[in-house]
Amino acid sequence: MSAAGGLPRTGSALAIWPALRRSGLGPGLLMLAVVTGLNIALQPDFFSGASLSGNIATFAPTILICVAQAVIVLSRELDLSLGAGVSLINCVMASLPQDKVGGPLGVMAIAILVAILLGAVNGLLVAYAGLPSLVATFATGAIWFGLALTIMPQPGGVISDAIGDRYAGTLMGIPVPLLIIAVAMTGWAILARHRSGRRIMAVGSNPQAARDAGIPLRRTKLLAYLVAWILVALGAIAISAQTLSGDPRLGTSYTLASVAAVVIGGISLGGGRGTPWGALVGALVLGLVTNVIYFAGIASSWQEFVKGLVIVAALGFMVLEGQRRA
Amino acid sequence: MTRQLTRPLALVGVAILLLLVGQALLPGFLSLGQIGNQLKIAAFLGLFGLCQTIVIAAGGQGLDLSVGASATLGGILGAALMQGSNGLTAPALLAAVAAGGLVGVINGIGIALMRIPPLVATLAIASVVDGGTILGVSIAHPANSASPVLVAIGGWASAGVPNIVIVWAILGALAIWLLSASAWGKRLTATGANPVASLLSGNHVTAIRIAAYGLSGALAAFAGFLLTGYVGQAFFGLGDPYILTSVVVAVIGGATLAGGRAPYAGVAAAAIMMTVLVSLLTALAIGEAGRQIIFGLVLLGFLALDRMMKGSLRMAMIGRRPNPAPPIAAASSAADTPRGG
Repeated sequence: MSAAGGLPRTGSALAIWPALRRSGLGPGLLMLAVVTGLNIALQPDFFSGASLSGNIATFAPTILICVAQAVIVLSRELDLSLGAGVSLINCVMASLPQDKVGGPLGVMAIAILVAILLGAVNGLLVAYAGLPSLVATFATGAIWFGLALTIMPQPGGVISDAIGDRYAGTLMGIPVPLLIIAVAMTGWAILARHRSGRRIMAVGSNPQAARDAGIPLRRTKLLAYLVAWILVALGAIAISAQTLSGDPRLGTSYTLASVAAVVIGGISLGGGRGTPWGALVGALVLGLVTNVIYFAGIASSWQEFVKGLVIVAALGFMVLEGQRRA
Repeated sequence: MTRQLTRPLALVGVAILLLLVGQALLPGFLSLGQIGNQLKIAAFLGLFGLCQTIVIAAGGQGLDLSVGASATLGGILGAALMQGSNGLTAPALLAAVAAGGLVGVINGIGIALMRIPPLVATLAIASVVDGGTILGVSIAHPANSASPVLVAIGGWASAGVPNIVIVWAILGALAIWLLSASAWGKRLTATGANPVASLLSGNHVTAIRIAAYGLSGALAAFAGFLLTGYVGQAFFGLGDPYILTSVVVAVIGGATLAGGRAPYAGVAAAAIMMTVLVSLLTALAIGEAGRQIIFGLVLLGFLALDRMMKGSLRMAMIGRRPNPAPPIAAASSAADTPRGG
């Protein structure tokens, strides 16, 4: 990642820069390079194995949830219920009798099933009932939050240590969080080359043309929601593996983070332009900014302000860059 | 005119029905004091709903999620400047409203000039304003209590009518005139309905949108200032409960995110209806969880109702089955503004 981020400064990469700008990923990568540089400056052992895998374990949920939002945004919709959905999935996981549902695998399977159900509800409301996604998913978000509070009025419950141990461990020498991200991104890469993935992009970039071309709009949008919510399930499992308990407010901040990451990643909120890779870059930028603020020893009263300024600066940068591109 | 009044009347009807249900289940729910209290709470919700009504009408997926931050800023800055003194209340009010207006203008510049989607722009600005407010408080440790005059305006009643409700009634009447009868209101809704046509017919679309967000920020800070009087003191997070509820009442009141409509009578009625609903649920000892779920279901119900009515209206107009495709335009952001190049 850092190698790619350093590209604009090397001579041979000048030819790649216009291509990056066309993809909309250029500014995001530049920002990633800057925050990575700051991280390295503040934290000399940034590239040590322990530090890297710790960072990846922390960032993985954000990345997965941001990529989920990206898939929905690409289809020209939005989902403001992702954060509450993460909380609900987490509370369901923590309230299950861990041993009676088939151990860790059973718990995770139930988490994915719950996510698919939530995604189906959102997808049906938006695609089939024709409700505006912004308000409809805001409404379902309130419902998910209410359900999470019903299951677990206070933080509590237990998630089996086995899930936590597996998440912190490695598989074939690769840290499990990295593997989850790799699987998710590979899954999208395959889907994007498959007819269904191309349809999601087509519906997002020009719905009228897509319909004229015989693409089933409603089914395609529903599919986008289902794909996204499987990613949300993975994200919720990854957070739960770190907290090992339930919290009805656990996911709240992810909704807005996911929208910000999508914008930083150069994905047009108007749909159809950008790739989920952009959301990955955006999520990394957000995570590394938090790191920088933490490691720079900035007084806590300044943290919110600095974070807000960084996001505004990122937005301004994105917009100016985008207008130059147009 | 009759169609414009249908929704407000229906919403007030639902509110009365809820009050009667409350009285049947819990005797005393329908007392005059109770109704006054509920109108007080509705007044604040209604003021924040006005912010959303204006920016939603401006179109381009208009939305102002910084109303909470502006209100908190207005309350904290106002309390800091008035230092509990009656004499300093008016200048403090002016400063608070100006600060909120400035936040709104910055929002408007980001949205109308830089073409950042409103949802993203106002959220980002909100995080800066919130961060700046925390920072300011931690450095200056300002006074945070409301002056006696402000407490009287925010919390007391004159001749049985809460003062804040009088303020809301006056502002609401002004808003209805401004939005539906004044020349500026016509330009605002024309801009929201069709920015290109509005531009071609000589309206300064960018200036109108910036003014809409400026007005929203100023109103939010004003509401936050009054809220300080109602609660007695300003604190961080003062305006946060209104961020999303203001959007909800605007949508229930008949504002459509596609823009071009500014039905404030409906939004005001929706604020009353939602307040009664929440207080009924609270009185019935339905906790936060149940309230959230019912909240979401009510909002979904109103969205579906709107959708059905739009469908049947179109059917009546065209005389055939409505087009089965979903309204994709409703989801696109800023697609209605011509992009450079």
